[in-house]
Amino acid sequence: MRPMKLCFAAALSLAAFAADAKSNWVIDPARTHINFAVDAAGWPRTSGEFRKFEGRISVDFERPERSHVDFTVQTHSVELGSTSFDSFVRGVAMLDSDKFPTMSFISTKIEKTSERTVHVEGDLTMRGVTKPLAVDVEVRRVDGRLEFSAHAHLDRLEWDFNSGYPIISRDVEIDITSAAKET
Amino acid sequence: MIARWSLASILLHWASAAVIVALLAIGWSLSRLFDAPTRFDLYQLHKSLGVLALALTVARLAARALTKAPPPFPGAAWEMRAARWTHVALYALTGVAILAGWVTASSAPLPIPTVVFGLFPWPDIAPRDPRVFAVASLTHAWAAYGLAVLAALHAGAALKHVLWERDGVMRRMV
Repeated sequence: MRPMKLCFAAALSLAAFAADAKSNWVIDPARTHINFAVDAAGWPRTSGEFRKFEGRISVDFERPERSHVDFTVQTHSVELGSTSFDSFVRGVAMLDSDKFPTMSFISTKIEKTSERTVHVEGDLTMRGVTKPLAVDVEVRRVDGRLEFSAHAHLDRLEWDFNSGYPIISRDVEIDITSAAKET
Repeated sequence: MIARWSLASILLHWASAAVIVALLAIGWSLSRLFDAPTRFDLYQLHKSLGVLALALTVARLAARALTKAPPPFPGAAWEMRAARWTHVALYALTGVAILAGWVTASSAPLPIPTVVFGLFPWPDIAPRDPRVFAVASLTHAWAAYGLAVLAALHAGAALKHVLWERDGVMRRMV
């Protein structure tokens, strides 16, 4: 075998090995909660939850930096505890769900920071604007599930999402707890 | 036989009373009690009731103009004066509270449309301007406080006639 061919074969087998080391997971909707909260002047803290979403995770336990996360949320599924409040938040003044039916997060870089935590950098697309967002995620393996929780803050003005500002805070608190099943 | 108000005036008076008391109660509590979603719903209800109060007030003024009002009930000069001015002020503050509320909802920084009882949209009458909003919401609040005081005075005076003097004044309005 010529050296070139040898190299190619080695690369192929390495690629095969890398593919083997990866496992694919899907979000279990029953165990997932995507919550957010905002503050407003003269108004109690408002929190809501997105009910419809899907997410895929591919994990390389040997080389976590090769892992990948992909999350899509249906903006129309937002619930705040009152139907009229829901329709206002879905409406043009806020999420504008008809024009922007989804919000998505796609990881660009994953770094293991401790036995239980990873630092995830990615692109969040909200109301059609894509900006980077970094999230620290706590990960646990429980009964064959991959459980994780993330707590993050984002400055919505970076996404040109300025409805109601400054009465409604620019800071949006995000709380995600989720579990994924291997596919 | 006591001269009574017209049936239209009587019905409109009590309907207005119920709506205004509800508006005052909701208006006071929604900025003090309740969580965010309940408060949002109460704001929408408050705006719808405000439109209803406007309609009732216009109808009352029409009924007053079109039907014969009973002559003032005889009493001490100070009582008649007090009653007259309380009534004028009640009409005035009701009007100011409703109109200032309408301007408040129209100029509020968040464009939350007014859909009367979820049935039909109600137009805005002011630009979405924080200065307009500041003046209108303050005017709305003080007119409402003034209206609450006068309504209490008005109801207290009516009760005095019913329980204390038993002179039949109340029968003019029932």
